[in-house]
Amino acid sequence: MNKKQISITLGIMCFLLTIAICVQIRTTNLANSTVSQTLSDNELRDQVLKMKERYDNTYREIENAQKELEKIRLTATQNDKTAEAKEQELKENNMILGNTDVTGDGVEIVLEDAKASNTSLNLSAQLIHYSDIQLVVNELKNAGAEAIEVNGQRLVATSAITCEGNIIKINNERIGSPFTIRAIGSQELLYGGLSRIGSILDVIRDGGNTANITKVDDITIPKYSGVISYKYLKENK
Amino acid sequence: MKKIKFRADITAVTIVIFIVCIVLVSVMLMQFRTVEQTDITEIENMRETELRTALAEWKSKYEELSTQLSEVNERKEEYNQKINDNEATSELIDEELKESNMLVGKTDVYGEGVVVTLADNEERKIEAYDLIDLVNELRYAGAEAISINEVRVLTMSYIADMGDYSYITVNSRRIQGPYIVKAIGDKDYMYSILNLKGSGFVDRSKTLGMNVSSKTENRVEIPKYDEEFEIKYMQEVTAE
Repeated sequence: MNKKQISITLGIMCFLLTIAICVQIRTTNLANSTVSQTLSDNELRDQVLKMKERYDNTYREIENAQKELEKIRLTATQNDKTAEAKEQELKENNMILGNTDVTGDGVEIVLEDAKASNTSLNLSAQLIHYSDIQLVVNELKNAGAEAIEVNGQRLVATSAITCEGNIIKINNERIGSPFTIRAIGSQELLYGGLSRIGSILDVIRDGGNTANITKVDDITIPKYSGVISYKYLKENK
Repeated sequence: MKKIKFRADITAVTIVIFIVCIVLVSVMLMQFRTVEQTDITEIENMRETELRTALAEWKSKYEELSTQLSEVNERKEEYNQKINDNEATSELIDEELKESNMLVGKTDVYGEGVVVTLADNEERKIEAYDLIDLVNELRYAGAEAISINEVRVLTMSYIADMGDYSYITVNSRRIQGPYIVKAIGDKDYMYSILNLKGSGFVDRSKTLGMNVSSKTENRVEIPKYDEEFEIKYMQEVTAE
């Protein structure tokens, strides 16, 4: 390698790096320019970010506290023979409630809006609607699903699938196409129930949308990202 | 000799340049990843009204979480204080289990809430999807327990049309109209969500000619889930 070659290599590398940095700066600028940059907007944005950070920190704290509680509970009830069964039931309850990450065999369904080229078809039929997701989820429950997630959102007792304008939300978090729905349960029942002729997946395909189902082993479904609590419930004895 | 030394220098220079490049590239990648992770772009793109709602949402979520955190910490304290007293710790675990069982749906419950009644008429027959939609909206409005014709509706409950729309099943239990849907939660909030002009379930359904009515009640009673809770396929993820 001589000096000339080195200079050329250096030159090319510098050029590439500069381009990459420029692209990055432009992306950031682009994102900014779409918003009216008033002072109050910026302040609000800061506040939202701060609040989100506080939430994330507390969430981490609570995760640790819960783990510690479990340990303390174990040591405190060492000598209590009935405690073991109770701890087991608590664990199972938390799996059902969506308080823990769970794993198992199941199916994965991917729903995707039709490609824009099919303009001759009915436009509305070319989109996945929140009702489609509701119906797919209902079918999975019908086939005995034990845990379900949609784009990372675990379904729990208070999970609603809603639509605001053209944004679909689950657990109040925005999700978008493609929608990946994972369910743990009997693979035969889940797959059989959803892939039969005339199933909801067929109906979704009729509009030109994509709807695929596959059996997947060892799916991990994350726990609910919010808090499961109550304010109005009382036990009726 | 001279030539060889010169070569060695070049190799050293090349290595240095190479390392610098790697560092630069990793810094850039890190930057890209951080931007993606924090959703900052999403928040950057929001307008004032959206920002205000987002702020309110995060604030209430944060407050809820803080309450939960102090509860967990209190419980930890209690266990720690009573760690040498078997009877007392046994009581504590019973209490935890009781609360958890109530949340899961293993007990009869009551509380303030709303009652929605749907019935078939000549114009419109009630179908499973109507009930799915209503349950979904009640969940959105924060319902803590729901039942349809005294059948408890849980996370994994399904609602389906059967026998060519002649009846509906909930948790494999057959039910027939009129359908009485009960929900425990903030009664005024749930009622207002259901009756929102144009978008609330009750208002929308009335426009479609459905026979539907709703009312708030101070005491709504909802029975426990009357089937087995069986976990056959899922396991807790324990690896840390």
